[in-house]
Amino acid sequence: MKATVVGNYPKISSDKSVPNLRNSLNAWDQKKLTSEKLEQVYQETIRRALKEQIEAGIDIVTDGQIRWDDLVTPLAKNINGFEIGGLIRFFNNNVYYRRPVVKSKLSFKNYSTVEQFKFAQANSSKPVKIALPGPFTFAQLSLDEHYGNLEKLVLDLAEILHQEVVGLEKARCLYIQLDEPSLCFHPDQADLALRAIRTVFADVEVKRTLFFYFCRVAQFLPQVLQSEIDAVGIDLVSHTENLEAVLSNNWDTKELILGCFDARNTKLEREEDILKIVDRISKRIPANRINFSPSCGLEFLPHESALKKLQLISGIARKIN
Amino acid sequence: MLLTTTVGSFPKPDYLIKARNQFSRGEIPREQLKELELKATRECIQLQEELGLDILVHGEMERGDMTTYFAENWHGFKISSPVRSYGNRYYRKPIVVGKLKRPKPTTVEYFKYAQSLTKKPVKGMLTGPYTMCDWSFNEYYPDRQALTMAFAEIIHDEVMDLEKAGAKYIQIDEPAISTRPEELDLAIRAMQVVTAGVKAKTISHICYGDFKVIYPKILELPVDQLDLEFANNKFMHLDVFKTPKFTKEIAVGVVDVHSHRVETKDEVKQNIKMALQVFAPQQTYIDPDCGLKTRTWEEARAKLKAMVEAVREVKQELGVS
Repeated sequence: MKATVVGNYPKISSDKSVPNLRNSLNAWDQKKLTSEKLEQVYQETIRRALKEQIEAGIDIVTDGQIRWDDLVTPLAKNINGFEIGGLIRFFNNNVYYRRPVVKSKLSFKNYSTVEQFKFAQANSSKPVKIALPGPFTFAQLSLDEHYGNLEKLVLDLAEILHQEVVGLEKARCLYIQLDEPSLCFHPDQADLALRAIRTVFADVEVKRTLFFYFCRVAQFLPQVLQSEIDAVGIDLVSHTENLEAVLSNNWDTKELILGCFDARNTKLEREEDILKIVDRISKRIPANRINFSPSCGLEFLPHESALKKLQLISGIARKIN
Repeated sequence: MLLTTTVGSFPKPDYLIKARNQFSRGEIPREQLKELELKATRECIQLQEELGLDILVHGEMERGDMTTYFAENWHGFKISSPVRSYGNRYYRKPIVVGKLKRPKPTTVEYFKYAQSLTKKPVKGMLTGPYTMCDWSFNEYYPDRQALTMAFAEIIHDEVMDLEKAGAKYIQIDEPAISTRPEELDLAIRAMQVVTAGVKAKTISHICYGDFKVIYPKILELPVDQLDLEFANNKFMHLDVFKTPKFTKEIAVGVVDVHSHRVETKDEVKQNIKMALQVFAPQQTYIDPDCGLKTRTWEEARAKLKAMVEAVREVKQELGVS
């Protein structure tokens, strides 16, 4: 059983002695800090995020998406045809993102994550996973002022994400995850979403992972498990009935990432509750194909709580092993 | 008709930011910080008088954040290290660890002080129960409903104390209210507790959400006035309020508080005129989208100046005083 994370991680530490990215960004904004110095702080912060995950015992880590403000704008800035719009709520969180606005036909401009991956992997003894917005969620989180047709928008985004994924594969990234929370709110669009996901992962040799957080998966999970992907991550906290969906489906050779640690509340899970869930699932899926993770990115938590969750996750995973 | 106001917070002057940092490091006593908070409050009232605003606010110089401030003053909380809400903005998201209790009136002293400085009405400023719940971590109450209703009772006591202290306008902000439309009933029920038996004019500010999903149900929120943001998303939400007819008073956000750029008077006039295509002048108040604390003092002044001048000219054109 492996321990992993979903994506983002708190950017500022509760340890006041380490460089504070928030203060550095403010100083840079006021032209009191050079871009070079800011870059140093970014790098130190990413190294710290990696180190904390590795020391806590996480097996597959991320760079904490330290350079990202949100899930979509870091990509949208590198795609022709997007402008960055006004602030809007990110699902049902007190977290906001600037909505990308589609102004003209979208096309690939630059890689968004390849250099970020290279830097992170060079600073990590554990494999680094890259999480990207899935094409369907990317489209749903954007405002379309050009296509007037969801399918065309989703499929163009899929082609662009495919180029990103090919770039990551060339850089030897082994784990690529597409986050598709929006699919849960439009389960009738599963065909389109999965067709787009197939395009994103076409002909690449990576661990193809999907992650669904904040939402119910029962309606489309059977289709997802029949598609050509390798691992599926599910938030079991936001909707506890997702456990029944996991249990009632055929996982065949697929891996499950069990998001059973609440990444949106500081309260720590009781070990016995987690073991009960694992006990039920391991009757359906062999333990070597079950991974542990938080229910979503850890940046919803204050730093000290995120760290405690990491330790709890890997602690219970080790105990089971 | 077309009275001007603001949403609540004003930028903290540099000397106050410095003092708050010094206080948090234990370098200056509480009394010294308080003197500077009162000085900043005086400057804030003076600025609003100079600009000619109709309904004033005290500026929230004593508050770091609209939830944390109450958590610091009420029992049952632990304060976390900061979590990010968007861009480079963070707040210390409170953690509820015990039964909530208000040891004494929380906002009355600063309200009374600000009101003593002006003949114009000053608004009492509170955060609503649903938002307090949504923007806190919950380690104590069994569920969100229990926590929201516990907040409602305390906030009701605070509203009664503000009214007793002479507040003619009491604003109870619910920016989180569109987060989970399935919980709108809960938010309405909680507000019924908060405003029960109150004679002062009650207002609720809501922002950065999807108004589509809460309209017209939100008209059942038991307050006299809703204060909504419009400028940030270029008035794209305006059509939502055409049918059915908007039955409360409305405060329309006509300048974007998240942009450094100062709107021209003509732009603001256009915004006001757009709003008046949907709302009657008799029911309409004019203000910025949201609290001004993220702007510099100069930006805040310039934005409000453009706003007040625009309102003056629109009133002349309409032939009202």
